[in-house]
Amino acid sequence: MVNWRNVRLILHREVRDQLRDRRTLFMIAVLPLLLYPALGIGMVQLTILFAEQPRTVVLLGQAHLPPTPQLLKGDRFDSTWFLNPADAEKLHVVADGAPPAEPADADAARRAARLIAAAREIRHEREREQSLQADADAAEAKWHDLARRWEQASAAATTTGEPATAAAVSAAEQDYEQRAELVRQCRLRQVELLRSAPMQALVLIPEGLAEHLEAINKNLAERGPGVKGVARYPRPEIVFNKADDKSQITHNRVREAMNAWDGAILKTQLALAHLPDEFPHPVQPTSTNLSRDGQESARLWGQLFPILLVTMALTGAFYPAIDLCAGEKERGTMETLLICPATRTEIVLGKFFTVMVFSCMTALLNLVSMGLTGRHIASMSGGTASAAQSLALPGPAALFWIVLLLIPLATLFSALCLALATFARSTKEGQYYLTPLLIVTLGLVVFCASPGVEIEPLYSVLPVAGVALLLKGLLLSSMGAVKLALYAVPVLATSVGYSALAIWWAIDQFSREDVLFREAERLDVALWVKHLLRDKEPTPGFAEALICFILIMFLQFGAMRVLTQASSAADSAGAGIAAMRVLLVQQLVIIAFPALMMGVMLTTSLRQTFRLNWPGWQILTVAAVLPFFLHPLTVELAASLHDFFPPLPVEIQGVLKNMSNENLPLWLVLLAFAAAPALCEEIAFRGFMLSGFYYTRRTGLAIGLTSVAFGLMHMIPQQVFNASLLGLVLGLIALGSDSLLPCIVFHFGNNALAVMHSRFGDQVPGALLTSIEDGQLRYRWPTLLLAAVAAGLVLRWLARRCAHHAAPRAGAAEPQANTAEQFSPHGV
Amino acid sequence: MWYAVRMIHVEQLTKSFSDLRRGLIVALDHVSFDVQPGEIFGMLGPNGAGKTTCLRLLSTVLRPTGGDATIAGHSVTTAPEKVRSCIGFMSGNTGVYDRMTAYEMVEYFGRLYGMAEEPLKARIEELFTTLQMHDFRDVLGSKMSTGMKQKVSIARTIVHDPPVMIFDEPTSGLDVLVARALLKAIAALKDQGKCIIFSTHIMREVEKLCDRIAIIHKGRILAAGTVAELEERYAEPDMEELFFDLISRHEDPAAAQPW
Repeated sequence: MVNWRNVRLILHREVRDQLRDRRTLFMIAVLPLLLYPALGIGMVQLTILFAEQPRTVVLLGQAHLPPTPQLLKGDRFDSTWFLNPADAEKLHVVADGAPPAEPADADAARRAARLIAAAREIRHEREREQSLQADADAAEAKWHDLARRWEQASAAATTTGEPATAAAVSAAEQDYEQRAELVRQCRLRQVELLRSAPMQALVLIPEGLAEHLEAINKNLAERGPGVKGVARYPRPEIVFNKADDKSQITHNRVREAMNAWDGAILKTQLALAHLPDEFPHPVQPTSTNLSRDGQESARLWGQLFPILLVTMALTGAFYPAIDLCAGEKERGTMETLLICPATRTEIVLGKFFTVMVFSCMTALLNLVSMGLTGRHIASMSGGTASAAQSLALPGPAALFWIVLLLIPLATLFSALCLALATFARSTKEGQYYLTPLLIVTLGLVVFCASPGVEIEPLYSVLPVAGVALLLKGLLLSSMGAVKLALYAVPVLATSVGYSALAIWWAIDQFSREDVLFREAERLDVALWVKHLLRDKEPTPGFAEALICFILIMFLQFGAMRVLTQASSAADSAGAGIAAMRVLLVQQLVIIAFPALMMGVMLTTSLRQTFRLNWPGWQILTVAAVLPFFLHPLTVELAASLHDFFPPLPVEIQGVLKNMSNENLPLWLVLLAFAAAPALCEEIAFRGFMLSGFYYTRRTGLAIGLTSVAFGLMHMIPQQVFNASLLGLVLGLIALGSDSLLPCIVFHFGNNALAVMHSRFGDQVPGALLTSIEDGQLRYRWPTLLLAAVAAGLVLRWLARRCAHHAAPRAGAAEPQANTAEQFSPHGV
Repeated sequence: MWYAVRMIHVEQLTKSFSDLRRGLIVALDHVSFDVQPGEIFGMLGPNGAGKTTCLRLLSTVLRPTGGDATIAGHSVTTAPEKVRSCIGFMSGNTGVYDRMTAYEMVEYFGRLYGMAEEPLKARIEELFTTLQMHDFRDVLGSKMSTGMKQKVSIARTIVHDPPVMIFDEPTSGLDVLVARALLKAIAALKDQGKCIIFSTHIMREVEKLCDRIAIIHKGRILAAGTVAELEERYAEPDMEELFFDLISRHEDPAAAQPW
């Protein structure tokens, strides 16, 4: 029974303690309150700094510009050519034809003269480059022609034209290389000139532009024979360097101005030709934006708030949790607390609520501070309505949801951080453990924030992602309120579930002596490996089982490309057989082999590790019969969850199609899909890993971990789910019989039934018990009821047997330990 | 009340754990002893002898792997909360909170021990007077000297007036003056009829303070009895020599073996 008075006492103390800690206060309260205003000030200053740097554009051939419409106005582009007239101030134009604006300013005049000289040199280089490029192109064509002819000559003796020799080809190639090099050098020189002048862009107005335009206008006005001939004349050129950001931005601005200018000239021409303005855009559609006022701002907040809420809830939990657990160990007050009458659960709950308070506070303070700063900046930016709107805060209903959804988030993070921080020996170690948590969470949140990702059934049961997406949906109001409310149920329910699991883990950590009193010993990997190889035990340890799992996952990941390639295109029998072969090899090499090797190298008893015992006929029979009970349930469960999971990737569908591929012999399909997995996966999972996870004699933990590992190995959500459930059954069988054989039998039975179902299922006559839907055999409810009752009874029997087995085993381990205790001091 | 005679009853208490380097470690090996009220039971042993493990088992911070101990009639395995509420425990590992004042610290633990507000206030006043802590009642733990911290620890240990008190090397790291004051305080507690376990590796403290002692080494009790009894049994008037003899005699046979 939890004594809530103790929990409250501990909570009060810890909160007060944290509030007295300068570091925590800074992280939790001061930083968010200062950060956003500071960011705002920084942004404003940056924009000022940015705005005060006009870029230099040199324009050559001002004399050739048409007098109207006027492109330049003094040393700027005419501000009418910009969407935002103020942008004209950001470009400083030095033109060659202009008389110096202020002749008195000799300095500016000299600078302008230098720029124009450099610009002329660039223009010269441009012209040179064009002729060089033409030469190079010719040389290249010649080389290719020679090479082709030489190839023909060596292939068949018949040639057209003069025969080419290898020497001629290589000479032509060299010639081309040299010329290409000249072009490159010419380019480099232009870049260098542009950079050193310094100018960000150069506009070259070709000779006679004004006359050409004049001619066209005249032609149009006089309704002449057409403008075909007249319209072909050189156009202006903008020279810039895309590799340089400043040059790139300048180019964009110049292009904007000149496009607008171009539009104005076109308009004049259209008017002269008595054509409507819309003439050049016969079918250009118009865009209609249906968003209401305020929805634009919702979009911004909808993307920003979930990210901020999640990260801040995590950081807010992170530092207090480390201080409360690892810090308490470090400062030597943990034992003081442990000897008071409060139970471990009460202590953990007290600490947990403290962390949660700070997590919520941090997140809320951040949101408030950011919202207020955003609004202030918007109001400051001087009434541009769009800006003010895009920063307006979401309404009270949305705020209510934010606060409501913050609670499950904070609960989950607080419990997770607490468990990790309990495990850590020092605050420094705690920070190491929590960084991966932060990275994983950030990844999830960024995924959720990316446009187009919306809440779906599968996402709604994922931790963190469900909450973030629900919040996003609420703020964006992109989905109906009813639908979101429906999603709120699974999101909140799963969040509560995850949080409960995390709290349970934290309490478990807190109750373990080896975690609370871990000596600050340095982990020496070499020593550890030596220890593993030298002090072998009959069965693998916890860490070894974990490493085996990681190894298998890595191998799977590494071999994934090969496997999918080999098994995707499998329609014909030949390809199908190849795919079966790949599957078999994968099972043997990636799954069974690592586990067997680790068993041989790291344990002394293969018999115990891989459970090579005779289980007795009773449980063997049960293992053989149980698949028949579970199969209808599995099929119906998968069918009912069909819409829940995302559709299978095409490659996997290809592989699974082989199960029902009539071209493949049945024995091969059974071998690849049932026999090999039954043997190999059982060796790895119920053999090595279950033995390792059972090291601490915690039956539930061992079975749970093994089945999760077994599920994860299957990679695809549907199979992960299905395999995890089967893993639980297999774990019960393994521990209940202490033998691998019934597991293999059950696994084979299960997979073989799945193969039969997909291959022959549609041939079963539908009746009271079964039906055919979409070419698939489905089971009706009487079958399901019978199967469920039978499976339930068998599983209960197995669970009892498992508990029965576990108890004497623990008892058997005890005298063993005792003998070790008795003999070790004397024996050595 | 039968347990009035044996306030602490330890029977075959065993604690073993596995260690990465050394394999299975038996920190405490079938240890048994009793302690009566009004008695100070000294545990004497070198570093790593198992004293701290034994006392941690009694304070229920660790769980025994074998045997049992009852304190004031409560078993450490089945009723750890009850055991904790009737002992006061102080060791080098039970620090003082940095960000709490002396008064807050004692008050906090008093409340955790389930004391009502009024008696708690009176008790704190009484303790602060007898331990002369009034001048630093509002000083934060981080600002206290070692002596002040020690006083706070004592006040924290006895605030709920427990019948059983356990002191695990309480004088380590203290200067002579503070250590002396502490030993005096412990002696005064004994006169109040408390049942006290006191562990140390300093002979002088044992000789001065303890009614009975147990010499513990490598998780086992090598000898137990009053100082006089031990001196008589081993015909060695000097306690320090006796201790050294016992330890090395136990070490020797193992050390002499070639394998």
